[in-house]
Amino acid sequence: MDSKAYEIGRLLRSGIGGFVAGTKVLQQDAPRFGALVKAPLGEDFIYGVIHEINVDDDGLVRQLVTSDSVDASVIEDNRVNRNVPMEMSVLAVGYSQGVAIKHLLPPRAPLSLDVIWQCSDAEIVDFTSTGHFGYLRHLLRNPDLPVGELIAAHVQQADAAHKAEGEADWSQRASQELITLLRDDYQVLMQVLGALGDALPELGLEQ
Amino acid sequence: MSEEEKYIGYVVGGGLKEGLQARLTVPAKDVQEGAFIVVESDEWLFHGLVTDLLLGATDPRFADEQSGTRLPSEVAKLLHGQTLFTNLEILPALMMERGPDPASADYKGWRDAIDAGLRDAPRALPVKTVPPHHSDVRLAVEGDIAEIFGKPGEKGNFVIGETREQGHPVAVNLDRFVQRSSGVFGATGTGKSFLTRLLLAGLIQHDQASVLVLDMHNEYGFDDTASDTGEKVVGLQTKFKSKVRVVGLGAGAQIRGKTPDFNLEIAMSDIQPQDIELLTRELNLKETTPTTLEALASTVGRTEWFKAFMGMKSGARVQNEEGKSVAAPDSVAAWADANGVNVMAAEGLHSKLRRVFRKAEAGGYISAAPAADGVSEIIKALEAGQHVVLSFGNHESDLDYLLVSNLLTRRIRQAWEKRTNDYRSTGKKEPRPLVIAVEEAHKLLNREMAAQTTFSTIARELRKYYVTLLIIDQRPSQIYDEVMSQLGTRISGWLGDDDDIRAVLSGLAGREALRGMLARLQPKEEVLLLGWGVPMPLPVKSRRYDDAFWVQLLGKKGAKGKRSEKDMKDGLGV
Repeated sequence: MDSKAYEIGRLLRSGIGGFVAGTKVLQQDAPRFGALVKAPLGEDFIYGVIHEINVDDDGLVRQLVTSDSVDASVIEDNRVNRNVPMEMSVLAVGYSQGVAIKHLLPPRAPLSLDVIWQCSDAEIVDFTSTGHFGYLRHLLRNPDLPVGELIAAHVQQADAAHKAEGEADWSQRASQELITLLRDDYQVLMQVLGALGDALPELGLEQ
Repeated sequence: MSEEEKYIGYVVGGGLKEGLQARLTVPAKDVQEGAFIVVESDEWLFHGLVTDLLLGATDPRFADEQSGTRLPSEVAKLLHGQTLFTNLEILPALMMERGPDPASADYKGWRDAIDAGLRDAPRALPVKTVPPHHSDVRLAVEGDIAEIFGKPGEKGNFVIGETREQGHPVAVNLDRFVQRSSGVFGATGTGKSFLTRLLLAGLIQHDQASVLVLDMHNEYGFDDTASDTGEKVVGLQTKFKSKVRVVGLGAGAQIRGKTPDFNLEIAMSDIQPQDIELLTRELNLKETTPTTLEALASTVGRTEWFKAFMGMKSGARVQNEEGKSVAAPDSVAAWADANGVNVMAAEGLHSKLRRVFRKAEAGGYISAAPAADGVSEIIKALEAGQHVVLSFGNHESDLDYLLVSNLLTRRIRQAWEKRTNDYRSTGKKEPRPLVIAVEEAHKLLNREMAAQTTFSTIARELRKYYVTLLIIDQRPSQIYDEVMSQLGTRISGWLGDDDDIRAVLSGLAGREALRGMLARLQPKEEVLLLGWGVPMPLPVKSRRYDDAFWVQLLGKKGAKGKRSEKDMKDGLGV
């Protein structure tokens, strides 16, 4: 993973609970499901986790998919210069206030066309190490989200960032916190732990 | 404190009535039922007993499903750590103030108030409140046990065993022990006799009370052989030669092949009608017996009736001047006719008392003119601070035990009551406390007998007269409730019968919680300490009655001495 933050798109629409960004980037550079991203909030930032990525069709694509063959340059042109952007839905999970990081919903929504950034490893470590995993509750409370998959994707990426920063047991602590938060909800907990087991095979399966 | 305090969990709920519940933070195998634990609240320490361990789950499905097989091992471990747990049920027994943190500013004020006598010094109190949620729970260390049960080295504190998990010594205060009657219970083979020997040795060594042992099976005075292991068991007289006197029942009686210090013969004049009445069940006496006995005592005399009645002939008839067959003048019928007593009842009683009369024949222990007043000798020895083991020798029947024990105890009771009254009214020397150890106590203290025997009176009332009982029995349920409820200290080995368990726990707080504990004691060498004489209930691994015990009790002189030739031959099986 690139350890530097980089721009991944601009804001299309937003609310306190999250925002949607549009991008034209090519698929291989596109941000990933579960990644931690940030949007400006004045001098500070709103942090969020990507929970949905949509590529909508347009009139040209509809025509092209029915063609017998599509030239590679046409495909390239359609992806780079497309009229309808790829949309990333982001769930707000916190914000910064100077050097402090809060795992609370932001006080204001980001503005349209604000630049959205993929967080660097250091930023991921900073954000996810603050407090006691308070931001996880934002991911768990939305019944419409694929919670298990989202958590697993996020923990996998964040764990890689922590390991890159020399911290080996972050995923274990995160798992422990998830169990604490979900132990009264058997079904969701087992979904999350099952997905975590797939995402973090290094934890090893019982013989 | 040298020993590290091991924290095992924290309080999660409970109350005074149902006990406390604590979440265990160590593996369940590290804690056992009956463990002595301490709950640390801010300024109080709560002492209690683990009465149960319960497996729990935040959701039953976590327990039902073996998630370890479908989740990564680390994740499964984390999951089980949070969703599956063990709760302790704790019976809180005592609470003790520990004051503010010594490092805090409040501590000095608290300490100064105690030193100035403005507030009581910390001491163990019955539990009146509960510790708050999340109070730390730890296993008691040696210091905690010494704080509650007394320091083992201090005078009067007799180490009876050790805690089961950590092996910390647990003491019983003998001064308190003899203040009320006490009991040693347990099913057969659970070590009652060994435990009693330990206690008797402790009492004799402590020497604050005289001990009279009614040794029905000749176990306590001279050396014996253990019935289960075949090993030699040291007798009390062997170790306390100058303090313990062994008395054999009957003239010339030998106990375990040895000659006792003196022999006890019962004078016929000592036998009272009430001594016979308490043999009603044993001799299958009729309802008319008390009337007949009373007639005998009033017509012949209270000290002469037994001899006279024994000398009467049953069924003897002679011909009178008119040639008619009439009762012989020296017959039972003649006496009955002359005194308005039913002849059939008198002859029936005479017939049934033949078993008692036979005790006056050669080899018996009843005599018209005993060589010495054995009963008075025993009383004198006890008053002089000696200890007496009355061995029944060959007279091991229930009839012998009931008759002699009750008669002797009646005399002792009279002597101690007189001494106590003299002490209170004229300021004479205070009577020496006396403990009477009674084996097979249910024979003397069952519901039917309790109203008649002296023993029940002692158990109920004679604490005031410096006499208490040490009851040894395997069927406590057969002992009269009123007597059981008066027992101060109760020491019980394993009991299997529900009624026996209920009887041992009668009148105690938290008996429901203790019931299972009693039923799950190891059949040997584990006992439960209960009752007024101990600060709180506690199961302990009882001390072994061996050479090490004697060395600890008596010092070097308790070590095994030079073996006699006979002992060596016995050891070699010669």
